[in-house]
Amino acid sequence: MTSEWLSPPTRSELIENLVSGVDRYNPSNVGILEDYLYHQIRSEEYDCLANLAILKLYQFNPDLYNPDVVINILIKALTASPFPDFNLCISLLDERSTNAQLDEPDPLPTILPILKGLHNLLFRCRFPAFWQAYRSDELDFLRDNYTVEVAGFENAVRAVAIRGVRATFTRISSERLGSYLDLSGTTLSAYIQKLGWSVNSSTSVVTIPPNPDNQIEATIVQESVKLPQLTKIIAHSVASA
Amino acid sequence: MAQQRLALWNTEEDLEEDVDLSIAIGNYGQNMQYEESAFSQIPDVVKSFIVHFHQAVLDNNLADITVAYESGWNKYTEKFYSKTEWPEAELIAPLVNDDPIFLILYRELYYRHVYSRLQPNIDDRFHSYENSCELFNYLLNSDGPVELELPEQWLWDIIDEFIYQYQVFCTWRSKVTTKTQDELIMLAEGGPVWSSYSVLNVLYSLMQKSRVNDYIVAQREGKSPEEIAEIVGEYGQRPLYRMLGYFSIIGLLRVHVHLGDFTLGLKVMENVELNQKSPFTRVTACHVATYYYVGFCYIMLRRYPDAIRTFVTILNFIMRMRQYHTRSYQYDQISKTADRMYALFAMCHALSPSRLDDNIANIAKERYGEQYSKMAHGGPDALAAFEELFLYACPKFITANPPPYEDPAAINALISASAEGESPTQATAPQTDSTHRHLDLFLADVAAQLPVPTLRSFLKLYTSLGAKKLANFLDADEEELVQEMMVLKQASRSISRVAGTEGASLLEGQTITTSDLNFIIDENMVHIAESTVGRRYAGWFIKNAERTQKILDDIKNMPLPVAPKPTGPTTAAPSSQDAQTQNRATRNAGQKVAWGGVKVA
Repeated sequence: MTSEWLSPPTRSELIENLVSGVDRYNPSNVGILEDYLYHQIRSEEYDCLANLAILKLYQFNPDLYNPDVVINILIKALTASPFPDFNLCISLLDERSTNAQLDEPDPLPTILPILKGLHNLLFRCRFPAFWQAYRSDELDFLRDNYTVEVAGFENAVRAVAIRGVRATFTRISSERLGSYLDLSGTTLSAYIQKLGWSVNSSTSVVTIPPNPDNQIEATIVQESVKLPQLTKIIAHSVASA
Repeated sequence: MAQQRLALWNTEEDLEEDVDLSIAIGNYGQNMQYEESAFSQIPDVVKSFIVHFHQAVLDNNLADITVAYESGWNKYTEKFYSKTEWPEAELIAPLVNDDPIFLILYRELYYRHVYSRLQPNIDDRFHSYENSCELFNYLLNSDGPVELELPEQWLWDIIDEFIYQYQVFCTWRSKVTTKTQDELIMLAEGGPVWSSYSVLNVLYSLMQKSRVNDYIVAQREGKSPEEIAEIVGEYGQRPLYRMLGYFSIIGLLRVHVHLGDFTLGLKVMENVELNQKSPFTRVTACHVATYYYVGFCYIMLRRYPDAIRTFVTILNFIMRMRQYHTRSYQYDQISKTADRMYALFAMCHALSPSRLDDNIANIAKERYGEQYSKMAHGGPDALAAFEELFLYACPKFITANPPPYEDPAAINALISASAEGESPTQATAPQTDSTHRHLDLFLADVAAQLPVPTLRSFLKLYTSLGAKKLANFLDADEEELVQEMMVLKQASRSISRVAGTEGASLLEGQTITTSDLNFIIDENMVHIAESTVGRRYAGWFIKNAERTQKILDDIKNMPLPVAPKPTGPTTAAPSSQDAQTQNRATRNAGQKVAWGGVKVA
């Protein structure tokens, strides 16, 4: 489950060495990691640990700081909800002195609260509210300058919603599902079809295939005694025999 | 890397020499006199203690070193130096033939005493850093491994203190407004003193030199001692280096937590197995610290079941240890950490109720009962309780980089800004503090979960119920409620380490169910199922079987009772007679109290 997160199959050996070795602290490697981030953004890949390594370098070397990179990392981490990636990234953003030498004003202080707000909506499964906020006029610049560059961003958000729906529902109305995915009509049907979920044509209720999280059964957990629990007693009887 | 540190240290030495020189020239004669009288003021017992201590180190006599380190040093600290510094290393140098290595070790203790008992000034802070560098330089950059041997406890304390001093330095450094002019100048020129890079450098160097990670892997693979010796090389074969390597891994975990990097903290622990057999458990303080930091990382990774398991293991250990170790000079520290872990446990338990260990849960609820009931209940009071316990129990967080001391204009701007806007900065200060950054993140997670306990308590009453009806109960909008149910589902799942994966990274894990209450939504109908746990007998029987075996062993091992003196009554008689006496003693107080007293005792 987490092994893919720890080391995504798409991670190259070069990056693996940077992530796991001491070379991660070498400031001259920041370019390699930043290039890798932009590669992730273009090709719908995601490597949290590699991105955290960038933030670590920024933490130790404030002069490397590049706000656009930070924002892109946060956008990628946003869609890992409900896993804590977004928070882990924020944890590494140390306070910056205001007079950092940047050619342009730092966009992060304005964007950070917005991203935190979006993350909060995702984490609290308020998907319709997320789409409303995300599509609002105030977030024009976020969409036009950042998320438009992140290939598959909206689908990644939909994947978050799908994770929630899959675990919680056995059947859900198309309307409700559409509001979570911000899809309707034929695009919604196509999306559902791609998931392999079936729609009842008369009621347009979507059936979610059974999975470990959406099956319930009242059980009585019986205790099972494991051998290690008894080692002391057995060892003792052997010793005193 | 080694070269870098060497260079860094050399510049420091120059700096120090410059300063000392000017003082020395100014009051040369006075200084000599002062030193003579200062030397004569050292109590003779302390002088002879230092001489013995030195001899023990020269002989690599671990037993004597341990005695001097664990009892002698503390004894004389209590007696003579509870409120002042120990004599300076220069002063006692003649006693130890100016042995440079012993003087480094002596300074290590000297500064540690200053930090723990007194208020270190900026010179102490700089010099303790230089001394640590000198020590690590000696260990890492001599020709081949050094012959020195030190008790494991001391080795741990060296690493632990090094990180502690780094952490307090960073905290102290980040407070710009309280600095004097001299301090500002020294900080501006301080360069790499206590920089994060230099601290990490030391820890990684110790790990690499001792090849401790290779050693752990080889051990796990069951390699023979010869093979292991081959793998770890000339340094790793020596206990001193191997243990320093081990402790450096734990040290790295701690540094990463201070810096807010919880994934990297667990990642450096990749090879270390968290069990009672692991070598780091031989030093109790290290054992406790490891679990504390690992548990905290898990909390910040939202892996509450793993955090709970971690705390339960170590808190049980501390409870068992208490009977033996209360006299240890570290006991206070350990029990303080234990208190904080009970608080963290209470938080995790409220977020992810489990029946892992009723004993620990009961103690935690007893200690933090008021906060626990608020947290477990959810609702508006819960956040304040979570905040209180988090601030009490969290590690100290630091900022990796200093304020811009090297830029006088910037630093003056900072000082005047905070002087001018006294109230506005105070209002904004909490957010800029790194502890509050982590607190806010944690509280945001918690806030999202606040409605969960209420929802659960309603669902427990039904096997199925309409979403609309449930929304009405809660006075909520139906669509909002359905989304909230997804949060409830999310809160009942967690990544967790699974049994049978010992040896895998601490970051590995699988999604597990953390709640007994399960539900699904079928369109608009909520169906609920609860798993219950059958009564557990095994634990009780196992515990009591073990206890009985122990009692039986104890009885078997007891010396036979000494045959009573011929003058006394026969063996059968005294028991009844004693009982009678005792009865009488309790009835008529004062009469034959001595008899009764003895019997009772």
